[in-house]
Amino acid sequence: MNPLKTAGHPTQRIDALKRVTGTAKYTSDKHFPGMLYARVLRSPHPHARVKSVDVSKAQALPGVKAIITRDNCDVVWSSGDTRNKRYLFNNPVRYAGDAVACVAAVDRHTAEEATRLIAVEYETLPFVLDAEEALKPEAPEIQPGGNLSPDDKGKREAEVYRRGNLDRGFAAADIVLEDRFQSAHHNNAQLEPRVSIAFWEGEKLTVHAATQGIANCRTDIARDLKLPVENVRVICDYMGGGFGNKNQCQDSDLMAAVLSKKTGVPVKVEFSRKEDFISVHGRWPVTQYYKVGAKKDGTLTALQVRGYSGMGPYRKGRGDQGGPEVYQCANVEQSVTTVYTNMAVSANYRAPAYPHSVFGLESVMDDIATRLKMDPLEFRLKNMTRKYRDSIDYSSIGLEQCLREGAEKFEWKKRWHEPGLDTGNLRRGVGMAMGGFGSSVGKSEAILKVGAKGQYYLYVGVTDVGTAAKTTMGLIAAEELAVPLESVTVHWGDTADCPYSVGESGGRTTSFTGVSVVEAAKQLKKQIAEKGMPKGSDMLTASVVTEPDTKGLARYSFLADFCELEVDMTTGHIKILKFLAVHDSGRVINPLTSQSQVQGGVIQGLSMALHEELLYDKRRGIPINAGYYGARIMTHLDVPLVETMFIETDDPFGPFGAKTLGEPPIVGVVAAVANAFFNATGRRVKSLPFSRDKVLDALGKKEVLA
Amino acid sequence: MRAFANATPKNLADAVEQVKQAKQNQKSVAIAGGGSDLLVMVKDHLASPDVIVHLAAMKGNDKVIESAGVVKIGGLITLDALSRHPLIREKYTALAEAAGVVGTPQIRNAGTLAGNVCQRPWCWYFRNGFPCFKAGGNQCFSAAGENQLHAIFGGGPSFIVHPSDTAPALVALDAKFHITGPAGERTVAAADFFTLPKVNAAKENSLADGEILAWVEIPAAKRGTRSMYHKELDREAWTHAIVSTAVVLEMDGATCRSARIVMGGVAPIPWRVPEAEKLLVGQRVTPELAVKIGETALIGATPLAKNRYKVPLAKEIVRRTVAAVAAKA
Amino acid sequence: MSKISRRRFVEGTGASVIAVAAVPLEAQQTKSAASESNAASAADAPRTKIAVTINGTKHSVEVEDRWTLNELLRDHLDLTGTKLGCDRSECGACTVLIDGKAMYSCTQLAVWMDGRSVQTVEGLAKNGKLDPLQQAFIEHDAPQCGYCTSGQLMSAKALLNRNPRPTRDDVQHAMAGNICRCSNYNHYVEAVMAASDTPSAKGGKA
Repeated sequence: MNPLKTAGHPTQRIDALKRVTGTAKYTSDKHFPGMLYARVLRSPHPHARVKSVDVSKAQALPGVKAIITRDNCDVVWSSGDTRNKRYLFNNPVRYAGDAVACVAAVDRHTAEEATRLIAVEYETLPFVLDAEEALKPEAPEIQPGGNLSPDDKGKREAEVYRRGNLDRGFAAADIVLEDRFQSAHHNNAQLEPRVSIAFWEGEKLTVHAATQGIANCRTDIARDLKLPVENVRVICDYMGGGFGNKNQCQDSDLMAAVLSKKTGVPVKVEFSRKEDFISVHGRWPVTQYYKVGAKKDGTLTALQVRGYSGMGPYRKGRGDQGGPEVYQCANVEQSVTTVYTNMAVSANYRAPAYPHSVFGLESVMDDIATRLKMDPLEFRLKNMTRKYRDSIDYSSIGLEQCLREGAEKFEWKKRWHEPGLDTGNLRRGVGMAMGGFGSSVGKSEAILKVGAKGQYYLYVGVTDVGTAAKTTMGLIAAEELAVPLESVTVHWGDTADCPYSVGESGGRTTSFTGVSVVEAAKQLKKQIAEKGMPKGSDMLTASVVTEPDTKGLARYSFLADFCELEVDMTTGHIKILKFLAVHDSGRVINPLTSQSQVQGGVIQGLSMALHEELLYDKRRGIPINAGYYGARIMTHLDVPLVETMFIETDDPFGPFGAKTLGEPPIVGVVAAVANAFFNATGRRVKSLPFSRDKVLDALGKKEVLA
Repeated sequence: MRAFANATPKNLADAVEQVKQAKQNQKSVAIAGGGSDLLVMVKDHLASPDVIVHLAAMKGNDKVIESAGVVKIGGLITLDALSRHPLIREKYTALAEAAGVVGTPQIRNAGTLAGNVCQRPWCWYFRNGFPCFKAGGNQCFSAAGENQLHAIFGGGPSFIVHPSDTAPALVALDAKFHITGPAGERTVAAADFFTLPKVNAAKENSLADGEILAWVEIPAAKRGTRSMYHKELDREAWTHAIVSTAVVLEMDGATCRSARIVMGGVAPIPWRVPEAEKLLVGQRVTPELAVKIGETALIGATPLAKNRYKVPLAKEIVRRTVAAVAAKA
Repeated sequence: MSKISRRRFVEGTGASVIAVAAVPLEAQQTKSAASESNAASAADAPRTKIAVTINGTKHSVEVEDRWTLNELLRDHLDLTGTKLGCDRSECGACTVLIDGKAMYSCTQLAVWMDGRSVQTVEGLAKNGKLDPLQQAFIEHDAPQCGYCTSGQLMSAKALLNRNPRPTRDDVQHAMAGNICRCSNYNHYVEAVMAASDTPSAKGGKA
């Protein structure tokens, strides 16, 4: 790849100073004159009909200004459920945490105390938490039409992908393995809880939202409140993380708007940490069944996976499973059944379909390699994808280099031993996993201006969720313009002056909006060449919409993860000793912040593997460990030093060859941990997370080696 | 948060008086040491005080005083100060180590010894508003529910585990608790301070209404005495012990003269294991004996459906800690 | 001694009623409980006048007794650099120094600060010059979303005040009470080491 001048070098964030001085204003830091605080009352029941809501005592509390319930608010929150009608306040309530009322008052204490004065009469209904249980005929119906959630086209059946012929594939196999894996609902747990502030100026609504996508949030709000889009302005200056749970408008945005309309003053709706865990969403739990066949030489002949995803009672996410696409195999069947349950809602959390699925898939693949007495690295090199679904060329692929160069740096050949061969109480093992993540391209916009003094102003509809997207956009503009980064002022986070961007999800900002920025810079350069630099207060403006396609090619980022850990065989304590993450995300626009992304994603994955689950009391359908303490989110003391390595392929469709980076870092982590645990102990834990009870249970059993 | 008034006592007697007065005025009272946990409980509506008596405001009850070998520790010493105190680190290592692994640095900077000993349970049912024994109700939801972290000894009708790290260390060090209250002062052995649920399922200790754990007394350490506290966590910081143990051995060369072994995280009270202790007296602490100590410590354990793993885990933790204390120079 | 919450819970009896009405979230009430609550509006809440030094400036303010230090700082003194992540002593985003010690401002009452000295992130830079920790945080890309950053800074500050030459292990222990969900822990530790006087750590990548 040709070296770049500005991009491609470690660069500090353009807003770093504000982030380290406490001057970056997050949504919750904002205050407006006369602003009211609002709090939500939520259902204590997993499934119940609301017979009555009596707000009279709450209304009478001095300082209470407005209360909304289903009795006086029938706003539909359409991005809270894309298949059914989900109101702000639902009846019946369908999970412990479903909103019943929202109270606005002069301060948050009064608002909170007022929620406690609301008397709700419930008629409790039978509930079901587990996806497979929910499909049984005797299960309570959670949504009209049944618990099998419809697909995009409204069909109520499993979504299936097939190629080849499974029967022929299994018939050709020398060995066939079947197994079952279970993953847990776990939470995004971003540090900034969801918060919304809304106020009206006539018919125009302004919402300050903690959102990953101001444009999506704006269109969602306009649709649900039946407003012209141009009457809605969404602002998010600084955003305290999301990892997928702030993609769209949240019900709090709508509640704030409705309450502000009623009271005529700004209203701030705040979620507590526990509400953020229970009432926003977490990753969908999946029960996965694998059946895999291979020949003696390691060639895969058949790969079947069936998954059952628990979506909670509303359909906010896809519920799909990823992973098999990184394997070359003639006969494949992948099916996923998405199911309504009375658990908390499931939707996007970083690489939504991947880390739990790859955990199951890569565990089975490791077991096959073991049975065939193959090194797992060689097994993967043999079977790794060359073409997407064995038929479509990739726009760029560095998977083999990820595996080979990663293995070399990790000293895989030296560290790997046959599973379970270590002896003694402290047993070391290494594990690996490979993965991919779709790196799509699509519609986005950018506006770039230049003034007389040679200062450039870039307008992009990003909020920067922590990925350094603003800095990345600035670097891309500076590179194309051939000016220093300091010459580019980036404007973001306000729909009033920032054009459409897809929203910071799916790892799309660099590929989507980055392409717009390149195009805007090109057009602006052309204008400058034609007209010369502007004079006085004149400006030249390039406003572009780009909508590239991949010309029939598949576009993927790839990765290989390598983990070494140590298991204390009597206490079940697992210590991560070494972790190497190798990524092909195309050109790395900013090596400094990219390393942050990868290290952070890996550690989130380690925490997912070892700790995290929103645990329910099964008899009452109530979550009992929401929050950082309960979820055992990893702390400073838990983390190893994560080594990173980039295989920079030159992708023809990304800005300067860049592909997706935000989501992939978590994809293979859980699997690499699981395989390292297997390598160390000869046992498998097949259900996430690897909590102490499950680990000691597994260690107490005989080794599973063939 | 509900409204309440803060009260700032000048000294212990004043604190007791303020509690008494508030009660006479029909006010409910909560006593705050560092406040880290009390305020969480108020926010979660697990405590609903009209008045919070803030003990940390008063001066002088946070000292470590040694006289004639006996050490007195003010109940309001912060866990951080306790964990760093040279005398405690040297002579009562288990206590310093226990104080040093509570929560996080921020909690140890605010939290007090008395507060740590007297803290309410961290059972997830109690903390999530279930109407259990500890919340004034009449059932334990963990018994047939999610009991991964619950008691394997001494449970029933409530199956909480005592959450304190310092409590097992204090019982192992044979501490006495000096308590002051409306009826005057009293002293109780640390081992007798804690209450099994079969005696009173609503409470964890014998503090009467309005009583305050004022200070802690630890007898002079006999020559050759050494101790350790080991805490097994399910992440490396800020959880309560899954299993812990405080081991105090009085050694004469390689021979053990006397022993006290107390486990945490396994019972509703710090769980002392006298049968295991007896096996050590007059013996050299061989690896084989350490194994036997671990086995003996867990005799009689009655695990619930999801916490069977605690039995082998606790055996191992006791074995290791006994061996490690014996091997200490 | 704290009075147990007087909520009562309805045990299910009818055929269609299968669950105990336990309350998993704050601010919830069953019908029977509502009448028992003795909620008070802000007008009735006890208030106290305190004198507290914040970042070297003395403030005389009247606070509601129930206000946390975090509320005083953020809502009433516009010092919003200190964040609120969990409001339960669990995450560390609200960490400030009280008389030099790192504590969670979400579980310290404002009224308890009478006569005490509080330092927040806004008090780190002196005369327009960044604290070495802030400079190192920028250079090592320590903040991702930045929401935990103020708390991380304050815990690191408390550590370096006490121990200017920490090891990596010291840093991890001192900051164990500060969750970073972006999980940029490696860069945080690297940055603190770089800002410290630990010889080999200066400028080097850990």
